[in-house]
Amino acid sequence: MFYRIAGVYHTRYDKARALWPVPADRWQITVVVIFALAAPFLLSDLYLGSYALPWLIWSAATLSLTLLMGLAGQLHFGFAAVMAIGAYTSIHLARFGVPFEFALLGAGIASAAIGALFGAAALRVKGLYLVMATLAMQYLVDWVINNVPAISGGAQATLRTPPSSFLLISLESLEVRYYLALAWAVLLAIFFMNVKRTSFGRALVAIRDKDFAAAVIGIDPFRYKLLAFFTSSFVGGVTGALLAFCYYRAVTPEQFGFNVSIQLVAMVLVGGLGSIIGGFLGAGFVLLIPIILTNLVSGLAASGFLTVSSNLLAHLPLMIYGALIIGFLVFEPLGLAKIYDNIRKYFLVWPFRHSRS
Amino acid sequence: MMTLATSSSQPVLVCDNVSRWFQGVHALKNVSVSINSGEIFGLVGPNGSGKTTLVNAVTGFYPPQEGSIHFKGEKINGLKPHRIAERGIARTFQNVALFRGMSVLDNILLGRHIYMNPNPLASLFYWWWAKKEENKHRHKVEEVIDLLQLESVRDEHVDTIPLGLQKRVELARALSAEPQLLVLDEPMAGMNQEEKEYMVRFILDAQKALDLSVLIIEHHMDVVTAICDRILVLNNGSRIAEGPALEAIADPQVVEAYLGKARNAA
Repeated sequence: MFYRIAGVYHTRYDKARALWPVPADRWQITVVVIFALAAPFLLSDLYLGSYALPWLIWSAATLSLTLLMGLAGQLHFGFAAVMAIGAYTSIHLARFGVPFEFALLGAGIASAAIGALFGAAALRVKGLYLVMATLAMQYLVDWVINNVPAISGGAQATLRTPPSSFLLISLESLEVRYYLALAWAVLLAIFFMNVKRTSFGRALVAIRDKDFAAAVIGIDPFRYKLLAFFTSSFVGGVTGALLAFCYYRAVTPEQFGFNVSIQLVAMVLVGGLGSIIGGFLGAGFVLLIPIILTNLVSGLAASGFLTVSSNLLAHLPLMIYGALIIGFLVFEPLGLAKIYDNIRKYFLVWPFRHSRS
Repeated sequence: MMTLATSSSQPVLVCDNVSRWFQGVHALKNVSVSINSGEIFGLVGPNGSGKTTLVNAVTGFYPPQEGSIHFKGEKINGLKPHRIAERGIARTFQNVALFRGMSVLDNILLGRHIYMNPNPLASLFYWWWAKKEENKHRHKVEEVIDLLQLESVRDEHVDTIPLGLQKRVELARALSAEPQLLVLDEPMAGMNQEEKEYMVRFILDAQKALDLSVLIIEHHMDVVTAICDRILVLNNGSRIAEGPALEAIADPQVVEAYLGKARNAA
């Protein structure tokens, strides 16, 4: 109970590569999964629909982006555009009468194809230049969506998602949409963990860390960078489609603007590059902290603890939020995931003081 | 230039009149060299003499502008580095080039890359698809870990272990690719005497166990004379001596290149 890694040893190679070799971690995961499954019964519709559901979908989006930025080390500042392609593809397919399951697949394929196409062009440059090239993708996709009525449905139009069902279960009820989002987030998390422990993930990390050393052991840097763009865009496209169908239930161009791309990058960085738990924590932080701060500040003001002008009252949550992001990144540049990791390691060896690494 | 006709075994690597310029700098001048199968071949010379440039020409980083390089009878100059790696040439770097974000084990597993089929779907269906392959290659990697005595640091992060061990991990990564030609760029730079002796032992063990040909750049002359079958001495990009180690370093031109002429002595 106390010294949690006591007695954890391996006799087979696949046991050593298990996802959670430490029993304490397995218990923790079980508890989290039980809570996630029970959430529709524990939370009111308001909290389920406007906090838990978007958190899961944005976590999935963060995981999609961190596959590219964290594992493969390729910066992408136009990821909202990738999700937009997925959302618009799925909604047009669904309105055309394609079953929702296939619309999701189509969304992934369309995003992956266009994302990898831009990737192939962008990958001739590295670092900050890649940022510029991916920004260009954001603006190009935005422009095309806004100016082609066949896609956007006309200027300033909103496309509503048609009534649809997943595996014969109607998506009308909030609970079903929540469970669909949960299933996707869990599937992505499992995919991500498996990528990290297989040759595909190692090849991506190799091109991130030293691409010349990767080439000398037989990894084609361009091929794997492109594969990273393709995979990340595929899951990003499906996530965009789920965002449209499960959360917004409509698509407008503003949902996938440049500011959303920046917000996604913030989620990845605040959570911790290349980390799964960081994906969930980062999305939660960027999404929920502003809401919580706003409620907190207005609550304090209403009860008389805080007497400031209404003008400052509107800006105070934003100021605290900015300070929190800076504070977290100064305190631990590797993000919330590293903070979690430090705490976990402390308790793994407790009551002894020092953990390795 | 081919002076090796008397050699009994087959040459594994043949460089013929290799030249390389970096803008105005003529870094390699018509260098020809032939390395026989199973041989440890030393490449020595003062700093800036073109040793690393020759190695980079062989491994495809700076393909030569003139001349040709044949590996096992096949022309390899002009191929991309990862294609050359697939053909059976592995190398280590002068400054350790390990992947810092990974454990020792993952670094060595990456050496198996050319034998694996990495793809996202295999990772997604890990339990039915990738797991078997991972375990198969883990067995191979454990053999290399055993050979180089890296068991104790297997699960450490590479940037937390000492430099001597990092160099050994890099050697392990190269060896796990089961190359026919192993290129070592100053494997003993920055090591103390004990680490050097270990490294020499590991290189000899690995060469025997895997039937390797080795091309080694090294500045420690004790090491060079102890393990190299033949050496090539470069100075300012051209060949000044070639042959058995002790004979080659006794060549007056080599002495001059390293120590200067008698009249220049203070």
